[in-house]
Amino acid sequence: MKILGISAHYHDSAAALVIDGVPVCAVQEERLSRKKNDASFPLSAIEWCLDQAKVDPGDLDAVVFYERSMLKFARILTCSLRAFPRSWRSFPHAMKNSLGEKVWARGIIASHLGIGREKILFTGHHQAHAAAAFLTAPVRRAAVLTADGVGEWATLTAGHGERRADATNISLLREIRFPHSLGMLYSTFTAYLGFAVNEDEYKVMGLAAYGRPTMVDRVRKVIQRTPDGAFALAPEYFEFQTTAARSYSSKFVDLFGPPRPSYEPIDVETAEGRRFADCAASVQRVLEDTLVDIARALHLETGLPDLCFGGGVALNGLANARILAESGFERVFVPPAPGDAGCALGAALYADRIYFRQPDRDAPDHPFWGPVVDGAHLARAAREDDQHVDELEEGALVERIAGDLAAGRVIGWMEGASEFGPRALGHRSLLAAPHSIEMRDRLNRDIKHREAFRPFAPVVPAESADRFFDLPAGGARLARFMSGVFPVRPEFRAELAAITHVDGSARVQVLERAMAPRLHALLEAYGRRTGIPVLLNTSFNVAGEPIVNAALEGYSTFRRCGIDALVAGSTVVTKRAASAKSAESALHDGGRVVRPGVPA
Amino acid sequence: MFASKGSAPIDRLLRPIHKWVWSDHDRRVRKLLIFGEVETDGGRDILRASEVTPDPLLRRLYLEHAIDELHHGVMFKQRGEELLRARPFTAATFFSGSPMPGGHGLDDLRVEDQSDPKLLAFLHIAEKTAAGRFAIYKECVNDDPKTREIFEHILRDEVFHMNYSYQQLGRLTPELQRRHVWRARASRMWNRYLRIAAGVAGLFGGIVMTLMYFVLLPPFAWAARRAERREAPGWQPIPQDRAESPTSLY
Repeated sequence: MKILGISAHYHDSAAALVIDGVPVCAVQEERLSRKKNDASFPLSAIEWCLDQAKVDPGDLDAVVFYERSMLKFARILTCSLRAFPRSWRSFPHAMKNSLGEKVWARGIIASHLGIGREKILFTGHHQAHAAAAFLTAPVRRAAVLTADGVGEWATLTAGHGERRADATNISLLREIRFPHSLGMLYSTFTAYLGFAVNEDEYKVMGLAAYGRPTMVDRVRKVIQRTPDGAFALAPEYFEFQTTAARSYSSKFVDLFGPPRPSYEPIDVETAEGRRFADCAASVQRVLEDTLVDIARALHLETGLPDLCFGGGVALNGLANARILAESGFERVFVPPAPGDAGCALGAALYADRIYFRQPDRDAPDHPFWGPVVDGAHLARAAREDDQHVDELEEGALVERIAGDLAAGRVIGWMEGASEFGPRALGHRSLLAAPHSIEMRDRLNRDIKHREAFRPFAPVVPAESADRFFDLPAGGARLARFMSGVFPVRPEFRAELAAITHVDGSARVQVLERAMAPRLHALLEAYGRRTGIPVLLNTSFNVAGEPIVNAALEGYSTFRRCGIDALVAGSTVVTKRAASAKSAESALHDGGRVVRPGVPA
Repeated sequence: MFASKGSAPIDRLLRPIHKWVWSDHDRRVRKLLIFGEVETDGGRDILRASEVTPDPLLRRLYLEHAIDELHHGVMFKQRGEELLRARPFTAATFFSGSPMPGGHGLDDLRVEDQSDPKLLAFLHIAEKTAAGRFAIYKECVNDDPKTREIFEHILRDEVFHMNYSYQQLGRLTPELQRRHVWRARASRMWNRYLRIAAGVAGLFGGIVMTLMYFVLLPPFAWAARRAERREAPGWQPIPQDRAESPTSLY
């Protein structure tokens, strides 16, 4: 069967194609449209998926949308009614926003793809999250937990799943409903701390390491535990349920103090900076405690050793590590795209196994489902621009780049198919030596253009991971897709200063050779030169832009920031600053256009 | 140097309004922050153009242009934030947005759908308009040397962008150069009309929705609040025998 999954309209829209029960491709719309967090209907992603698999829309057995859009609309309308008359300002906007496009998912899909309406199916939002987490994990039975901001009504679900050769079952047993939401709680603090909601939540996590959880009691006033082990947000502290304009109420501000203006830089050396860091640490602590409690109860209830965790909250690596350490589960599986983009794949897999009762199949255990980079495109463009281009054999290329990295150069590394999900896991990465604070500062300042307090992640071969990082049992699995934060061993913190966060931790990626053999070989070559087979691995983009996808996107990023060399396929491009012929000088040669003040 | 005499007649007519907008601290800050976003968006559009064009010279020019625009975005944003730090907003300000924004970031440019001649003509017109308006803005901020300096810097860049786009258009389609420019001008006018029409429609839609809200919804709101009171917080069981239709939107 050929099943296309789609997520769209809220954030991170995406498409994924499953053929005969196995994912064959998946990509987020933002990677193709080049608009970060693109939420529009993912037409480019759908076209790419169908082209890639050489499938016509008419050949599809089903197209599955990742949520029930009318149910979601009903929730939005109900919340407006409940907030009457305070919701009078947000109501027209909410209705226009929903009625304009979002509720007509079936018609939009049918008109874009030209397929019959009977082929268009829907899953619940959290069913799609659950399927993305459970059906891509290498387990037969597992407890399933999903948590995000909100789907239709559910914000958190708990249950279990079982894969048998003849039938697959995902049973979500209970849910917590909007407005009580861990995702919305965290997003509210994200807004309060002056960051962008649905985008900068990981900055709160990074900032938390600089603070102490001194405001936990206050956070527990706004999120209270219920006797049945769930939680409830105290509505008087929030406004997200009544308006899209503001997440928190004036009572929230009375409790925590004035919010951080987004234009003020954060300086954790000042009292105000420490207050914000403490606030971040406090909400992080409460989030972790709540999730650990819920996961522990689920473990006791199911008695299963494995947990599959999906939804946007599963991007919180600190919480994931604590769930692994304290909930009783032996292994925790978080997919590479646990957020809404991953729902495209989850919805397609859910329809295959649950709706169509297709036999169980193992999903390949890697994140590389996107477009493949073409080194020849890079070589052509770079030669046309008079850049230095080398074409190297595999072994020579790896040795050359290992040498460059050891010499302190920053490498743009593009290989094979791009990752599905928000993490760069070695196919669209910026790589650098992990040893010095200066490298971290250089990357933040000259290349990524981002806040100084934010940490960088390391990548290490699975064989060496335990030597450098204090991984608990099951830690390597959680770190496969960079989903956990673990301590750097104290004896290596000075030598791994660029990737060791202020609290001694790192969001490490543990790399098995089979998943990315070339990067694995590079790590080994780097290890032979320096004695430490660890590299700094950050996403190949600059602030505000999606991760690069095609070779020329990597090339344009390379040209305008401080990356020293760029690799795609067998092509290595290095900047030739002294002889680089700029566009301006090219024009100057023509003697026709010069910039004002530049003599012709 | 591009003086305000190079501005469009409409902008010269609107000079008193521009002066009024820029005379207020809050409005000035908002304008600068909006310009920061517009220039950054425009820069990303042009960056995309550099990635998709098959023409090597254009790739280099677009890239340089994009770098300029992104830099302008940073300059506007930093200056806006600097002013904001010096004196935060006092209150929500009427007419604080940009009624006729400069630059081209708001034109929803679809780079992949444009041929290079069309894009160059569009850029030429957009840069020319922006340069004319920025020349007026520069005069409006005579009391603020740092902001004035930013406009002067950007104006120098805009002249380069305006010229290169026109010359490259001539290189690619010498016989159709003027036609492309006129088409771009007409398309810009049409887009502006669409924006205004959409704005007016949105306004009317908002009024109708608001009327409906107060006239039709109160009884439903009462019922919804009663239902809410019956909901207990905490876990809600999900019935395992619930028959869910795969085709249902509910």
